[in-house]
Amino acid sequence: MKHIVKIITLLVTICALWMGLLQMSFAPSSHTWLLPIYFTVLLGCYGLLMVGVGLMRLPTCPREAALLQQFCMNLEEASSSYASSVVSALAGHFGS
Amino acid sequence: MELADRAVGFLLSVISLSIFTYYTFWVIILPFVDTDHFIHKYFLPQEYAILIPIFAGVVLLSFLCLFIGFVMLKSKKKKKAQ
Repeated sequence: MKHIVKIITLLVTICALWMGLLQMSFAPSSHTWLLPIYFTVLLGCYGLLMVGVGLMRLPTCPREAALLQQFCMNLEEASSSYASSVVSALAGHFGS
Repeated sequence: MELADRAVGFLLSVISLSIFTYYTFWVIILPFVDTDHFIHKYFLPQEYAILIPIFAGVVLLSFLCLFIGFVMLKSKKKKKAQ
């Protein structure tokens, strides 16, 4: 809820600033809607560009991936051997 | 896998740069070019520079609201089933 209030406050501030600029004739009134929409599209393009660049530079760490896979295999082997020893011990205990 | 990530990232960057270039040319530069210049035939009328982004924004917002509503209904159904 706090974040929504922050975002709404920011939007209202930007709208008030833009209306103030229009009233004081610092911004051309012929571009009342065009310039805010242009800057919004610019922001969207910037976000998309950052996502694309981030994806291109994403590190995959192949050595660490191989080490992790080896670790998981070792863990699987160790747990299966532990489980079989527990089962055999229980069978021996209840069998006798 | 790495190549696929790089390809998708490159595609996104190219799309964003193309949209930025085309839209900047359309909105900022074209009003200063003579109306009888040949470049005007590659761009839609200026009104569409406002209509297309607004339409895209409304579609995106509608899709987001639909998705959120769908997820909320699904989670409510799951809670009822439990």
